[in-house]
Amino acid sequence: MIKLTVNGIVYEREVEPRLSLADFLRHELGLTGTHVGCEQGVCGACTVILNGDSVRSCLCFAVQADGAEIETVEGLGSIDNLSPLQKSFQEHHALQCGFCTPGMLMTGVDLLRKYPLATDEEIREGLSGNLCRCTGYQHVVRAIRAVVEAGNGD
Amino acid sequence: MEIEARPKMIGARVQRVEDPRMLTGHGRFIDDINLPRTLHIAFCRSDHGHARIAAIDSAEAAGMPGVAAVVTAADIEGLLQTVRATSTMANFHGTELPVLAMDKVRHVGEPIAAVLAESRYLAEDAAERIAVTYEALPTVIDPAAAAEPDAPLLHEEIGSNVLIERTFERGEVDAAMAAAPVRVGGHFRMHRKTPVAMENRGYLADYDQGRGSLTLHSTTQVPGIVRDTLVRMLDLPGNRLRVVAPDVGGGFGGKTALYREEVLVCVLARKFGRPVKWLSDRLEDLISTSQAFDEVVEAELACDDEGQILGLRADVIGDVGAYSGYPWSAAIEPVQVVSFLPGPYRVENYRGRVRGVATSKSPMGAYRGVGRPISTFVMERLIDMAAVKLSLDPLEMRRRNMVRAEEFPYKSASGIVWDRAGFLECLETACDGADYGALRRQQAAARQQGRWVGIGLASYVELTGLGSRIAVAPGMPVNTGTESATVRIDSTGAVTAYFGIASHGQGLETTLAQIVAEELGARLQDIEVLHGDSDAVAHGTGTYASRSAVLAGGAAIVSARAVREQVMKAASHLLEADAGDMDAANGEIFVKGTDRRLSFRELARAVYTEVNRLPRELREDIELEASNIYDPYFGTATPATHLAVVEVDPETFGVTVQRYVVADDCGRIINPLIADGQVHGGVAQGIGAALLEEVVYDDTGQILTASLMDYVVPTAVEIPAMEVFHLETELPNNIGGFRGLGEGGTIGAPAAIANAIADAVGHLNIDINELPMTPERLFRLVSQKEE
Amino acid sequence: MKPAAFEYLAPVSLAEAVAALGRDDAKILAGGQSLVPMLNFRLRAPSLLVDIGRIPGLDYIEDDRAGGLRIGAMTRHHTVETSDLLRQRFPVLHAAMQYVAHLAIRNKGTIGGSLCHGDPAAELPGLMLLLDARLKTTQRTIAAEDFYEGALDTALAEDEILTEILLPPLPAGTGWGFEEFARRSGDFALTAVGATVGEEARIVAIGAHETPLRLRAAEALFPDIEAAAEAAREEVSPNDDLHGSADYRRHLVSVLTRHALMSAREGAAS
Ligand SMILES: Cc1cc2nc3c(=O)[nH]c(=O)nc-3n(C[C@H](O)[C@H](O)[C@H](O)COP(=O)(O)OP(=O)(O)OC[C@H]3O[C@@H](n4cnc5c(N)ncnc54)[C@H](O)[C@@H]3O)c2cc1C
Ligand code: FES
Ligand code: FES
Repeated sequence: MIKLTVNGIVYEREVEPRLSLADFLRHELGLTGTHVGCEQGVCGACTVILNGDSVRSCLCFAVQADGAEIETVEGLGSIDNLSPLQKSFQEHHALQCGFCTPGMLMTGVDLLRKYPLATDEEIREGLSGNLCRCTGYQHVVRAIRAVVEAGNGD
Repeated sequence: MEIEARPKMIGARVQRVEDPRMLTGHGRFIDDINLPRTLHIAFCRSDHGHARIAAIDSAEAAGMPGVAAVVTAADIEGLLQTVRATSTMANFHGTELPVLAMDKVRHVGEPIAAVLAESRYLAEDAAERIAVTYEALPTVIDPAAAAEPDAPLLHEEIGSNVLIERTFERGEVDAAMAAAPVRVGGHFRMHRKTPVAMENRGYLADYDQGRGSLTLHSTTQVPGIVRDTLVRMLDLPGNRLRVVAPDVGGGFGGKTALYREEVLVCVLARKFGRPVKWLSDRLEDLISTSQAFDEVVEAELACDDEGQILGLRADVIGDVGAYSGYPWSAAIEPVQVVSFLPGPYRVENYRGRVRGVATSKSPMGAYRGVGRPISTFVMERLIDMAAVKLSLDPLEMRRRNMVRAEEFPYKSASGIVWDRAGFLECLETACDGADYGALRRQQAAARQQGRWVGIGLASYVELTGLGSRIAVAPGMPVNTGTESATVRIDSTGAVTAYFGIASHGQGLETTLAQIVAEELGARLQDIEVLHGDSDAVAHGTGTYASRSAVLAGGAAIVSARAVREQVMKAASHLLEADAGDMDAANGEIFVKGTDRRLSFRELARAVYTEVNRLPRELREDIELEASNIYDPYFGTATPATHLAVVEVDPETFGVTVQRYVVADDCGRIINPLIADGQVHGGVAQGIGAALLEEVVYDDTGQILTASLMDYVVPTAVEIPAMEVFHLETELPNNIGGFRGLGEGGTIGAPAAIANAIADAVGHLNIDINELPMTPERLFRLVSQKEE
Repeated sequence: MKPAAFEYLAPVSLAEAVAALGRDDAKILAGGQSLVPMLNFRLRAPSLLVDIGRIPGLDYIEDDRAGGLRIGAMTRHHTVETSDLLRQRFPVLHAAMQYVAHLAIRNKGTIGGSLCHGDPAAELPGLMLLLDARLKTTQRTIAAEDFYEGALDTALAEDEILTEILLPPLPAGTGWGFEEFARRSGDFALTAVGATVGEEARIVAIGAHETPLRLRAAEALFPDIEAAAEAAREEVSPNDDLHGSADYRRHLVSVLTRHALMSAREGAAS
């Protein structure tokens, strides 16, 4: 039995040890915003925030998250009230198919919290663990840059 | 009274309507759909490149916990008709594509048996326990060797591994080349790629036994094609088979084929009476999604002393893999290489011969650019090689040969007719935008410091938005030349537009809504675009070949105009005004110069609900719905020039892209944000193709790039900021004036990067004729030169 | 790509963990950033995972009061990367950390995990060799030099847990250089070289041999940097693989050695 908090809600569930945190969030809790693109740790689509740090939810078992606080894309803004980062993604067309987007956002949140992101190079470096096949990254960089410049948090 | 100008929707930087759901985790992708009682499939796939299957022992697997069944080819015999790609082309051989391997396997990763279990975890546990006994057969790896008469055969019944052979010819090429003062040529190689959409393929079939109907949820780009084909394979009427593409996480051509797994889930859902789901994992994606761009090209270009092209000839071998995919067949990729090789240039004497040769590799299929990344790479290298030989600037070389404005319509050497488009204008715009002169001066200064900096140009023209005159797959029972749209105003005044295309990142929900809104005078938020559903329209194929804006956009205009006419007819009575005195904007119809106005909602109520508002004859005559088909007939030309600046590290041989400029002519722009995004994404994939990405098979047919660690897709660090310029040349004979632009970025970038690298190492006189140009390859080229 | 079933234990003491490891076919789980991909590929299918992440007191970077540092095995890459103390004492390690994977992986991956995984192309094992680290386990202390026996193969016994990394002080005025070449940002090194220059030179090659390798012949030729760089080429025995041939890797070792030594010499002089 594990107990953990996801986006402020406490869940208790019986899980098989081999269940990945990604599959747990998606299929046990129905939080399908977190995507799975490789299960090899490379694409970053599955990125969530665990105890304040962005991590790959495909490289973490749900049992390891017992007692943890998790934030997923569903915990950012809502459809009617997008977070500043989400809004900036929309304004700058930083998503096309939207599959990498939850991972990009969660990585972006962690980067904005931890780094000054003074240059675009820094942003690109920070995003290098998140593959996007659609956007060529340019608008993603721009969207994050705009949030840095606005200085009003993630 | 002041009348506000009608807001322009087409051309506006409208934010996408898709975004809020995607940004908040409320997209609905294939694996977000969960149906009760679903059985999950894991496959036992071939680990041999070419072998006879002697025996399959699945007894242990069948007894594992949670396993409902293990299915092999024998178990589904008689449950479906097979299909094979056909073509009207001469020298074409289709191949059967067995859903599960029958008596032999022809590439690593071919599905042999499917485990159906209560979860994917349990299915994989069982799949591991299936024991297949193989009798190894000789693998066929090198396509040139495979084309030899004595090569081992993958498909014995065909009698050869050459699945397609074709030649395009115009003029007297051999004579022209023999007499030419300047000739350049080489052996060009583009290595195999795979699309790598971030969402893997996946299929979920749901069979309703009571109604005898089947719904397939599929990550397909082509729901219409899949529906039409499955109807034949499964012997179901079309109204009992619905193919729905939910939100799809990118496709890039890799989701345009009919896949065996897609057919199988349908067969098994019907057989077992339970929903059946298969979701590719990344390993399976890298070994089973259609691969691309694998060609060897011998090519030669001749010109006179002024640089005027006199002749071009090429011999192309495409490594098409083990099967001819459905519906595009093994011809799609390699044939495009020769049909587009002459590029945007005047080439009077041409011969391009191509063979598509089967090998023990995953089948080749459509991938962004299809053939043209290779044709452009080869032609643009030849142009630069000739320029070097003539000591001409590459820009000047292009100016002298590109089809000029007064020459349109120009029939290319392979028979494609290019209508008016900004060929030279793109070249000049890219060079002006980058300040080509200044770049050359900076390059000279960098060279002084011993830095290897290079500038590369690449110009091309692609055919987009193909109409019925030019088939994407000649001879296939698939009509790729039309699309339809239904526009309907319902009794609440809401507008729904139904399409046969399937958006999977292109933002068509937004751009098509913009078009409908503008034509109708409705508000963007009042329009719902339905797509990716075979039930939406009577016929449609899907989204591929840079066609959706042109074809679906065109159909949207025709249908929306027809509905507008009906709206005006009703409004004319309701507002007591002549149609000519009225206009519609912002969801209202108004009499110009007055304050008499009527909202769409009020109009709909009057037409549908308040039966006495309109006279009976008028009510019967008005239909707030129209369905129309649009056929651009020839298709549209989209030219572009790319300019890349790269720096090669003379010690590590790493290549960094420092600047990237694109000028394209995409006709009338619907949404500039989206247009830029399409170019950026395309260029990023082209840079990947030029520098990083390569599917590698070893001599025994084992695939060595089965993870994203080894198949190297570029990250934000490898992709530079890009500068994009769009020309909007007016388009004759096309209703919307839109040109397609989905693929272009990927077509131009490999060539531009190759030319830039060649320029950077120009002092060493090295041929850059192979892509991706990895540091390893560059190291070898330089070392050989030094020896 | 779902892992095979396993049992899971999360002991709260090293003793418990060691006891659990007594069972055949058990595996230690630290950050999971190397192990879990292997499980997902089913390249490994241990019957028991012993998660050492809940054992207190393994996550620290401490001053050893002699100018060196003690680092707990469960210290995460991100902590190492951002430690000021570590940056002051071992700037070369700080520099190398910039090349390790990506933020989300550095947030979870641990120094101990990287060292015990023993990927020959990973930065940290090479840096331990360069810095002459001693690796403290539940059984003994092993010199980094004796730790690596082959690719992904270490001197650790099945039930032995790495607990602490001891970095001895660098002599004052030591200069350093770290050079890496990878095909893509955050990827494992195609080849990397680290060097320190003080009284003598110390050079380690990464990704060019089946283990990280001290380049002793090259070290001996210092201060003749050109000669050292030439010698370095011959000291490594790389394999041909997907991303680079042996010849190319030798070439890189030579080039990177030259640059690393030049930076180190410059740092030492100033
Ligand atoms: C996409 C990606 C890119 C990466 N890029 C890089 C890179 O550029 N450079 C780099 O160096 N690494 C890279 N890594 C690997 C990463 O650094 C790993 O975190 C690290 O190698 C392993 O640490 P871990 O704590 O995650 O260990 P785990 O994965 O948990 O364990 C690794 C191995 O060590 C054993 N083990 C772990 N801890 C101990 C211990 N204390 N005592 C005994 N045995 C133990 C485990 O049993 C296992 O065999 C990358 C990983 C990914 C997924
Ligand atoms: S799914 Fe986790 S990194 Fe790709
Ligand atoms: S938006 Fe499609 S992968 Fe990033």
